[in-house]
Amino acid sequence: MDLESLGRETRLEIQKAITVDEVESIRIKHLGKKGSLTKVLHSIGNLPAEERPEAGKFANKLKKELMTLIREKKESIKRKKSLPWLDLSLPGRKPRMGGLHPLSILSEEIEEIFIQMGFSVVTGPEIETEYYNFTALNTPKDHPARDMHDTFYLNDGRLLRTHTSPVQIRTLEKYSPPLRIISPGRCYRVDTFDPIHSPTFMQIEGLWIDKNISMADLFGTLALLAKKIFGKNVKTEFFPSYFPFTEPSAEMWIQCPFCKGKGCSVCKKKGKIETIGAGMVHPNILNALGYGEFNGFAFGMGIDRIAMTKYDIDDIRLFFQNELQFLRQFDDSKL
Amino acid sequence: MIVNYNWILEWVDIKMEPQKLVELLDSIGIQVEEVEKVPGDTIFKIDVTPNRGDLLSVIGISREIAAKTGKQLKKRIEYKFPEVNLEKKINVTIQSEEDCSRYILSPLSNIKIANSPSFITKRLEKCGIRSLNNIIDITNYVLLETGQPLHAFDFDKIEEGITVRRAKNEEKIVTLEEEEKKLSKEDLIISDKNGPIALAGIMGGLKSGISEDTKRIALESAFFKPSLIRGTARKLKISTESSYRFERTADIYLVGYAAYYAIQLFEKYTGGKIMGKIVDTNPNPIIWKKVQLSCGKTNDLLGMNVEKKKSLSILKNLGFQISSETGDKIEVSVPSHRNDIKIEEDLIEEIGRFVGYDNIPFRFNYSNSRTIWIENKEIIEIKKIIARLGFWEAINIPFIEPHWASPEKTEAIFIENPMWSDKNILRNTLIPGLLENAKRNLNRGEEFIQIFEVGRVFTKANEEEENVGGVIAGNISKNWYENDREVDFYDIKGVVEALLEEIKILDYSFENCTNPHFIKDRALSVKAGGKVRGAFGLIVQEVCKDNVYGFEFNLKNLLNARKEEHFTKTSVFPPLKRDISIIIKKSTPFEEIKSMLDHSTKQKTRIRLIDVYSAEKIGKDKKSLTIRLEFYNPEKTLTDDEIKDDIKLITKKLESIGATLRE
Repeated sequence: MDLESLGRETRLEIQKAITVDEVESIRIKHLGKKGSLTKVLHSIGNLPAEERPEAGKFANKLKKELMTLIREKKESIKRKKSLPWLDLSLPGRKPRMGGLHPLSILSEEIEEIFIQMGFSVVTGPEIETEYYNFTALNTPKDHPARDMHDTFYLNDGRLLRTHTSPVQIRTLEKYSPPLRIISPGRCYRVDTFDPIHSPTFMQIEGLWIDKNISMADLFGTLALLAKKIFGKNVKTEFFPSYFPFTEPSAEMWIQCPFCKGKGCSVCKKKGKIETIGAGMVHPNILNALGYGEFNGFAFGMGIDRIAMTKYDIDDIRLFFQNELQFLRQFDDSKL
Repeated sequence: MIVNYNWILEWVDIKMEPQKLVELLDSIGIQVEEVEKVPGDTIFKIDVTPNRGDLLSVIGISREIAAKTGKQLKKRIEYKFPEVNLEKKINVTIQSEEDCSRYILSPLSNIKIANSPSFITKRLEKCGIRSLNNIIDITNYVLLETGQPLHAFDFDKIEEGITVRRAKNEEKIVTLEEEEKKLSKEDLIISDKNGPIALAGIMGGLKSGISEDTKRIALESAFFKPSLIRGTARKLKISTESSYRFERTADIYLVGYAAYYAIQLFEKYTGGKIMGKIVDTNPNPIIWKKVQLSCGKTNDLLGMNVEKKKSLSILKNLGFQISSETGDKIEVSVPSHRNDIKIEEDLIEEIGRFVGYDNIPFRFNYSNSRTIWIENKEIIEIKKIIARLGFWEAINIPFIEPHWASPEKTEAIFIENPMWSDKNILRNTLIPGLLENAKRNLNRGEEFIQIFEVGRVFTKANEEEENVGGVIAGNISKNWYENDREVDFYDIKGVVEALLEEIKILDYSFENCTNPHFIKDRALSVKAGGKVRGAFGLIVQEVCKDNVYGFEFNLKNLLNARKEEHFTKTSVFPPLKRDISIIIKKSTPFEEIKSMLDHSTKQKTRIRLIDVYSAEKIGKDKKSLTIRLEFYNPEKTLTDDEIKDDIKLITKKLESIGATLRE
């Protein structure tokens, strides 16, 4: 056997050894009086004179290296052995953990999706006027569409916004199109507080104003959003709908993730769940702002509803009761 | 709105299973909320959007089904009133045609009040309406079938004709439900010589109502201004099948058909006979409104190509008339039942709806735009910082009890129609919500809680602002490596210090707390950049049995205290450490010692408190402090010699405030 393979094999044997005895027998086998390497060293004298110095140097270097390895291996085995027994099963000293609310986590996730599509994130007041919440959104007083938004009024005549659409109007007053914005935030509607209703909820609305925007842009964007939130196998469907601030209007439904479309109590036997209301911005709104030559789309979604669907939560009140048992269950990897 | 399958079959000839019909309706935006199978029939509960008053009837739904399946309605919606000129006639006066653009009144005699035939009562029942008597039932039956609300007065209780007019202020009416309602000139009423006999389009009056003894009736079919009906219905908190439909706009042509149809049913099932002239204030209403449509714009807006031929056929099937068409342009005449169609986009939606939204392709074109602002970025960042400090984020409903506002309540913003009557102000602080969270979690058996919220608070002076608040409560629980203890002031202080340092506020200091939500002797205010930014400490509260410690900052205020970040050179040389133990008066605040020593030495020094200790043997009013001094120099490793002078200086300073050094 040549020296190189001898070295390689010995190193491997040392590495594999577990006990000190094993290491010792490896030493005897190779470096002992009758050991394989010792034999090679002895046989160097038989080589032609010109090869001797080179071979001798190499063999001695290898011997030294292996002796060191053996010594270190023995020490390392002993060091491990010499530690007193420790109950490694005791619980670790964990740093105290905290985390974000599931609605914050989901809202940020959705915001990020839109930021990648070039949308800016804007915010606005929760106390609003009739004008921004309704009138500027093509919903005059005494219009039955106001029934869609049962409103909390304040003692000064103002109200708590029923959607974040007022932010869109405020933004359009300040900045001219083209623009793409989303407005996340809290909204309020007079409702009971039960498993499926809450007087406050979180919304994200979006607005894209430009020239030549179509329903195809709207549907493409919403379908993409659904895939990013619910996974690429989600099935989306679009249906005609009505909102005073859009024309044409649409709704996006996704296949019920609980029954996979078969119909269950969550989807009220429909097999699908309404997720987003949307449409092409009503020309009355853009004309009133002086942007008649533009068009675009708007959409809105309740983060609470989407979270309920995504995380399989059957009671909306859990979001506002803030029990740690509940809050601890959500992904805080983004902290 | 509720309709049943069999009734629909009377109007449109379809041979599809109810479930297929639901899918068809869904596809054109008519959402069937519930489907209930009953013996021999299926009942649909339909969610009609507020723009489509015309869909609130059997005819309305049938029309859409016919349009989608390309069929004609089985019956024609046409009418011709009988020419009669007999004894009785009631004069009708309309005060304003804008308020009431059509009013038809038909007098019928020979009425025999009885039960309705069973086909009527069964259909009413399926649609959720209780059968009363043949007169009321027929008006309801016609309402369900045509969508046009009718009202029957007892003819003999009307004195000297009818006026449709605004009520006078303070005028009163007792409704059929025997409730007296006070009216104003915002309300439209039907009146006779003696005053109001009905709330127009909403509910009849008690006085003129149908009774067991009714022999003759006056049947009303009308078109009232939707916003007026809605205003009164909401003000008086009355919502009826009738007001619901008038609010959503009646069909001015159908007003006539419904009267005609009802008269036929009265004649057939009550023995009634027309006994006088039928008054119609607007027998030939103008009904065909014109809207222009461009095929190119249709394609641009829908994002797909729809052939002109296809658009034309959809519109015709829906009952629109094509007045003219040249090239790209189509002039469309809108039938009277489609009050919702006002502009081109409305027609484009009709085309899109019937071509099917599932045929619209997806387009993804996100070029040419960059995200410019992210206005909530700082909020998200601060939430994450606090979460990293071991806090869980809460989101609370911001309605609180008024006692949380100052005694005068001048800063509070009240809710007119609160969700809960005791929580009728908007929160001016995050603390009440956080206390509720603490209580709830402690009651759930949590031993230790750290919860925070970032959210709006509202005051008259400052409108709404974002606040940051957090609470700590409970016991740091016993475990195998340390003992349990109740949370205390230093837990919240540590959190606040960490938070300030995390957001790079380094020049902060503490002073006496003036925030009324905290107990003065166990709380501090945080000052930075010369201004108070918030407070922390033991919360004044009666919500939880346990002590709850908390903090609250105004977010903008807090972030404004941030300094530009400047890099200071790091030192590779280890610091030289010296511990000094002193005995000093118990009442000497550590802060006093620290600020005295800070920046006083020649070498750079960090000062840390590593032990506090009190015991009998050092004196009742004394305490022992151990201070660790860390001397460092970015250029070199310091030697004992180089800090000798600083140690001397520090010792001297400590002695000057009465401290004695311990060995």
